[in-house]
Amino acid sequence: MNFSDYIQKIDRRYIFIILAIAVILPLLFPLGLPTFTTPPVLSLYKHIDEAAGTDDRAVFMDFAQSPSTLPELYPMDLAILRHCFLRDIKVLTISYYPQGAAIMQMAISEVKEDFPDVKQDVDYCNFGFRNFALRVPITLGMGDNIAEAVETNAAGRRLENLPIMEKLKNYDNIQVCMEISGAAPGIIYINYARARYGVDVAIGVTAVSAADNYPYLQTGQLVGLLGGLKGAAEYEELVETFANNDIPYSEKKAQNLSWRNQQYELSKVPYKFKQARIGMDAQAVAHVLIIIFIIIGNIGYFIEKRQDKNKYVK
Amino acid sequence: MKRTIPLLIVMILGMMFVVHTFVPHKISQDFYNWYQTWLKVMVSFAVILGVGSLLMVHTNKIKRKAPAWGYSWLTILALVGTSAAGFIWGIEDGTPYMWIFENVNAPLGATMFSLLAFYMASAAYKAFRARSMEATLLLIAAIIVMLGRVSIGNAITEWIPDITQWILNVPNLAAKRAIKLGVGLGMTATSLKIILGIERTYLGGGKQ
Amino acid sequence: MMETIGIWVAAFLTLSMFSFLYKDNPFYKFAEHLFVGASMGYFIPYTFFNVFIPYAYNPLFLRHNYWLIIPFVIGLGYWFRFSNNLGWLSRYPIAFSMGIVGMGVPMSIHAQILVQMRTMMLPLTNINLILIFIGTVSILLYFFFSKAHEGLYGKFTSVGIWFMMVGFGASFGYTVMARLSLLIGRLQFLLGDWLGLIK
Repeated sequence: MNFSDYIQKIDRRYIFIILAIAVILPLLFPLGLPTFTTPPVLSLYKHIDEAAGTDDRAVFMDFAQSPSTLPELYPMDLAILRHCFLRDIKVLTISYYPQGAAIMQMAISEVKEDFPDVKQDVDYCNFGFRNFALRVPITLGMGDNIAEAVETNAAGRRLENLPIMEKLKNYDNIQVCMEISGAAPGIIYINYARARYGVDVAIGVTAVSAADNYPYLQTGQLVGLLGGLKGAAEYEELVETFANNDIPYSEKKAQNLSWRNQQYELSKVPYKFKQARIGMDAQAVAHVLIIIFIIIGNIGYFIEKRQDKNKYVK
Repeated sequence: MKRTIPLLIVMILGMMFVVHTFVPHKISQDFYNWYQTWLKVMVSFAVILGVGSLLMVHTNKIKRKAPAWGYSWLTILALVGTSAAGFIWGIEDGTPYMWIFENVNAPLGATMFSLLAFYMASAAYKAFRARSMEATLLLIAAIIVMLGRVSIGNAITEWIPDITQWILNVPNLAAKRAIKLGVGLGMTATSLKIILGIERTYLGGGKQ
Repeated sequence: MMETIGIWVAAFLTLSMFSFLYKDNPFYKFAEHLFVGASMGYFIPYTFFNVFIPYAYNPLFLRHNYWLIIPFVIGLGYWFRFSNNLGWLSRYPIAFSMGIVGMGVPMSIHAQILVQMRTMMLPLTNINLILIFIGTVSILLYFFFSKAHEGLYGKFTSVGIWFMMVGFGASFGYTVMARLSLLIGRLQFLLGDWLGLIK
């Protein structure tokens, strides 16, 4: 068996083992590679942060998720909720997927553990699960009156009686509609809420669909985009360096990597607040491994092609 | 009665919604509020579509004693057990219902899809070949994006993240925009076909 | 206590799923069937408490809004979906919910077509905007099959293929990233939450 045959016929389970090792080692022994931020994430952070301390602006979060996207999207959920709770930004949450509703509940209670002063129905309101068929009617209805369109929160209490809803009437009071989604992210909000009421829309997506949404960023139909674990890691770091130290967002500071690293060192973040960032070391090593796989595979292919050509010439 | 009236309902409501989009009159708004209220009541019963279909598949497997039919009992048991937990103890935080989600559903769902990473690595090794100019372009763009999205790319040279951002903002954007224009036209055509009763597969039910 | 049991259960199920990488086996089948059943099981209580109670039961039975009996009865039609003789009753609520596609026509024309085209036709003030314009137009022409792709026209449409390939390459790079992230998430759970090896 020559080299190219050997490359082609290697048992795929060896490849599986190599990949597993490439992911496990950086998780156990972090390389501490720095996270750099990209414009769509900075723009989203800035946009959300502008609602800090106001009681007539809220971030609306739609959890269009299922467990299959948990490792990528859950860190986003946590990072955005932490940002809002740290900077006193009102949050409204909803899910049109039953499992998304469970993830939403999980995320809120996990973040809330660190914020005993944050009160349900005062600082945030969980609307709970709604059937998918109601997505368009509720999205449109919220443009006129949020309380009438949604009616009750997850616990069944009518929205018009809740303190948080006193100054939150319709999309005029929504800072951004943020859909964190593993499916067709943002389409409903772009097509209906943005087109009809002009509300700002942003999305958090699995990396699979991140590249597909760049046209919406250029048109301004999206004000920000978090793509996959990398997007979550970037947002996590912005929360750590700015919101955690109660510093308002500043573009100059955001681009100053040494200042950010210094802030990051000072905050001494526990593991649970840097889930996405820890994963990024493993992500980097695994990407390099996949590239090596592609290169080796192609070397074998070209050797084989040359051998075939030589045979033909002889 | 069985097919014509539902098609008429879609047609009339569809047309009214087209008008509603452009006419912000009170009558139009009242129509929308009425629709919303009625729809909310109706969809409360739609849960049967998913549950019924799953139950039918698995009870049939059990009846026919199809291969691995014993596992169908497990599916039915899990469905009944999870629902029962929700009805008995509620669906709030800290209930058995949420415990099942966090420790059964979430790990199973996440792991099932993580298996794809292994098959993708294997495919990268065995199938992704630069067989033509187009395939080579695809692979080069993919490799740059893979490097440019992680810190190693930045460590090699600061150009890699910049080139990645350019690929996403320019050639990728042009490609995705053209595809989106096609999809947008397709969506519009499909919606019109539904309103006009040409597309009717969503009604199901064979020839009845 | 329950938390520890939960972590062990989750770890067992995670490893059962991973066992498929070796070959199909009873542990994987067990995990797979459990997943399907439990996922659907979530639908019922959530729909009951978050949709049926606030939208159907409360308005009708507590606030005595008797007009809602009509959609209530139509909605019951869903339950006949699997009946051979009365299956047609389910078409009424389905048809009612499909009516809103009428709104999708103008809305999606605006958001998906007009806004995209308007941005594409902004003054072409820099090289990137020119490239985006050329790329989009050449791809659209590539999918225009009423004219043979020959000569200059054919060369121009092949530029469209290059743009598409770069776009697909970017998507592919991101897809690799997505799949690996899912794996990282699970291994993070096994090594961190279960074995306590990640600090």
